[in-house]
Amino acid sequence: MKENKHLLLFSSLGVLLLLLGAAFEEMVLKDWRRIQGRARSDEGAVTVQLRQIVNASLGVSDRCVSCHVSMGPGEQGVRGDKILVAHKPVVHDPAEYGCTVCHGGQGQATDKEDAHGKVHFWPSPMLGRETSYAGCGRCHATLRVPEQEQMRNAELAFERLDCLTCHRVEGRGGTIRPGGGGMEGPELSRAGLKGYDGAWYGKHEKKSAEAAAGPWKGAFSRVPADDQGLLKIYLDTRVAASRLVTAKSVFFSYGCLGCHKVSGVGGDDGPDLSRAGEKDPGQVSFKYVPGEATMENWMAAHFRSPVSVVAGSQMPPENISTQQLNQLTLFTLSLRRDELRDQYLPKDRARAVKFGEREFATDGATLFGAFCAGCHGQDGQGRRLPGLMSFPSITNADFLALAPDEFLARTVREGRPGRKMPGWLKEGGLRQEEIQAVVAHVRTLGGPAEASTKPARWVSGDAAQGRRIFESACSGCHGKQAKGGEGPALNNKVLLESATDSYLVETVSRGRRGTAMASFLEPSPVRGALSRAEIEAVVAYLRSLQGGKS
Amino acid sequence: MNPASTQNNALREFVDNLKSAPRRMYETAFRGGAPTTDRSRSTFVFGNVFLHLHAVRTHRWSLKWTTTVGLGIMSLSAFLITLVTGVLLMFYYKPSPEAAYASIKDIHFVVPTGRLIRNLHRWAANLMVVAVILHMARAFYTGAYRPPREYNWLIGIGLLVTTLGLSFTGYLLPWDQLAYWAITIGANIAQSPREVTDALGITEYFDPGGLQRLLLLGSDTVGAEALIRFYLLHVMILPLALAALMGVHFWRIRKDGGMVRPADADERLSKMKQGETYPVFTEAPNKTYQLAAVVRGKTAVVGRGPENTVPSMPHLFYAELGVMMLTLLACVALSMVSDAPLKELANPSVPENPAKAPWYFLGLQEMVSFSAFMGGIGIPAIVLAGLALIPYLDREKEGTGEWFGGPGGWRLVKLSMLIGFGAPLAIESFAIRFGWLREWFPKIPQLIVTAINPATILTAVYALYSIWCIRRYGSARSGALGLFTCFLCGFLLLTIIGTYFRGPNWVFYWSPSEWPKH
Repeated sequence: MKENKHLLLFSSLGVLLLLLGAAFEEMVLKDWRRIQGRARSDEGAVTVQLRQIVNASLGVSDRCVSCHVSMGPGEQGVRGDKILVAHKPVVHDPAEYGCTVCHGGQGQATDKEDAHGKVHFWPSPMLGRETSYAGCGRCHATLRVPEQEQMRNAELAFERLDCLTCHRVEGRGGTIRPGGGGMEGPELSRAGLKGYDGAWYGKHEKKSAEAAAGPWKGAFSRVPADDQGLLKIYLDTRVAASRLVTAKSVFFSYGCLGCHKVSGVGGDDGPDLSRAGEKDPGQVSFKYVPGEATMENWMAAHFRSPVSVVAGSQMPPENISTQQLNQLTLFTLSLRRDELRDQYLPKDRARAVKFGEREFATDGATLFGAFCAGCHGQDGQGRRLPGLMSFPSITNADFLALAPDEFLARTVREGRPGRKMPGWLKEGGLRQEEIQAVVAHVRTLGGPAEASTKPARWVSGDAAQGRRIFESACSGCHGKQAKGGEGPALNNKVLLESATDSYLVETVSRGRRGTAMASFLEPSPVRGALSRAEIEAVVAYLRSLQGGKS
Repeated sequence: MNPASTQNNALREFVDNLKSAPRRMYETAFRGGAPTTDRSRSTFVFGNVFLHLHAVRTHRWSLKWTTTVGLGIMSLSAFLITLVTGVLLMFYYKPSPEAAYASIKDIHFVVPTGRLIRNLHRWAANLMVVAVILHMARAFYTGAYRPPREYNWLIGIGLLVTTLGLSFTGYLLPWDQLAYWAITIGANIAQSPREVTDALGITEYFDPGGLQRLLLLGSDTVGAEALIRFYLLHVMILPLALAALMGVHFWRIRKDGGMVRPADADERLSKMKQGETYPVFTEAPNKTYQLAAVVRGKTAVVGRGPENTVPSMPHLFYAELGVMMLTLLACVALSMVSDAPLKELANPSVPENPAKAPWYFLGLQEMVSFSAFMGGIGIPAIVLAGLALIPYLDREKEGTGEWFGGPGGWRLVKLSMLIGFGAPLAIESFAIRFGWLREWFPKIPQLIVTAINPATILTAVYALYSIWCIRRYGSARSGALGLFTCFLCGFLLLTIIGTYFRGPNWVFYWSPSEWPKH
């Protein structure tokens, strides 16, 4: 009967041993214990203990400082290992803000793989070196960012005008006065956040005029008005994260918002991107993504060829450089959102959320880049995308000549029901003055409208005759009952309501150069010419469709 | 006496009582004193609410390792481990689709020892399924279902079903892809009677399959309703049912005279080397302390000398505690080596392919791939009914209490294993290589496929073989030996095929590395 006794003894000892082993592993072998064991502060060895940064307002309890000890509160002097070093100086002291707020990862884990979130199925892994600025998006929303060309010009202007001689921006420039006394000019890295004196230029000129010698005399010269505008753009967007701002300007240049909404503004054809940066790598397919299964790689592959990463995607691939592709990735990853208490709500986000300020600059070029360029093309010349009806050229001179501003504005406001073009006022979230700015910008791309003295409705043709003519001459492209075919539908309510009779008659009469629409006053090899009266009859027929429709 | 001295006496008495309180507390808790004599050992057992389900004396035969292999206690121990760890997990687990997955992540990464506790829960649960099945096999092969233990065999089947139910309902709770799609498959198996009602065209009026699925999920798809149902079943209804059934099961063991043993057990024991035991009747008391338990039928002790029994305290309890600790050891060791799986968050729009049920249902899923009704309902019902009928069809005495006892014995079991593995292997190979009726005659009525498919043919082969065994040995026990062995082998083989050799769309692959990449 001894066997049972021994069985009990040895299995109990076994359990005890295993549990002791587990405890030993937990209490002795843990990486953070060994790292802290090597750590030394001015007072000698540090207490080996689980360290954490707790910030209840931010929902943070980060144990990262168990290894990265010097980043913890009051531990700056700890040294002894590379991993122990202090954070480089930043505005958001990690000792207060914690680590995961900016960097992602799992703050509560206590071993490297888990903490950095590189484990299988971890929803928010740490942001990589290349995309670390994406973390800013969790709290911040940089305002008034222009499209990439203006952004680039603004950056170049700042360099070209030698502002860096006196001012320091993100670690570059600024002359340190010999013998102390700091820099010649104030540091401008965060001018857009902190604000700056709007009358700076006048003051600069005055000082320069008064100065007899020194940098004010030698280093400052007059700045033309155009460049002053560029410098304003530059200063407004200095938020100590120029990489992210530049990336944002790229995002506002390819018409992404034409189909995607971000913070309530944008089209509805693609998914809402307001939180696209929080995408869980476990929830997307990496089947067709080369390289490591990270969201960075997924997005890069997706921008290169959307449909091969997301089956059925209608998103067009853009012809962009690798750098721009990486910038789009960076910006998309920055689309995060945290419900922040007022105490931590940064000014820029507060201005965006509470006062409705725009994250995009509201000049026509930026608005066109952010909302229109995706479908109508970079220069508004129209676009053909596989599987979709072609998007019309809106900078065609023939079109613009006949289209008054009000026609354009109304089209933008109300869209084309039944087609991809949404009503930008209600559905798209744009404002009246922004729509006006876009219309003005389109004029600068194409040309002015001809003056017309005729009333909006003057045609009085025979609709029945017009129908017969339409069926023989027009329906080949515009479809039966003008429902659309290769050419656009003409029975569209908003089109017919906003288009003047002159617009319709003249478009048929003159045609539209650069498109399949030829002048119908001239005969072509396949059909005869139409008379003015016949064209007016066709317009009368179109008007009859409007009556039936609306 | 003057009042002062009365007061003094009362005070002294109070102080004395206070002093003796710890000793008396001990005495009231351990009434019989240290269990050093047979008498005190007996009181120790029947005076203790937790131990009194045991007889005070245990037959030596029951303590032999080969008698039970400790499988029953192992099942109980696994259950106790899942119970304790499960209650601990409940402190952190939140049964809602929004919070469930995150709370498991918390348990895994944040809660101190949470990972170990979850691993223990998972390993103990799997071990419990294995132990229960093996325990059933032990009870069958040693003829432990025979009178007077027929009813306890039925309770045992109830325990098996409840155990599988517990394990299955726990599977959904992490709310990850693995859980979500395994439960979807499980729910579809529950819906399998539709195959027949669809074929008959009466689903519209009579839809037991749909009803079963609806009862299980509480809605059309696996969602919040299903999660709360599974949670309630898992932490409340099924554990209570299991505990109640276990109570009856253990009590019946006691009432049915302890472990089954051969009629000539005493004789055989006398030939064996006697292990050292604690002295019997040490104090030479003037009366015996054998309990005259009122039990039905012949029992271990009534009308017989207690020669071959030993006090349960401590002999039986050493054995039981030993097995318990061994089970715990296995669970802790496995938990330290392998983490319980946690895939990505459940995503109803991204089906897993292949979506597989929990491993113990993969045999069923394999059969379901041939016919949903037969695999999901028909054959499991036949198997359960067959298992329940065993004690009522085999009324023989030969071989009771012996491993593989009965006409044919071990030789028959070996032959049955050959048939048990060979038949499904042959039928599966044929079906995988040449396809089945549906591939040959695409327009064939579904009812014919339901009736004639690899699963039903396998069942028929097993049944015919069993009948052959009965005729060959002239014994129902032989038939049962054949059929039960075949059932175990078939279960094992189909489970292995379902687990390792089925890939996307339930197509056969030699290894997962051959699965198509997309």
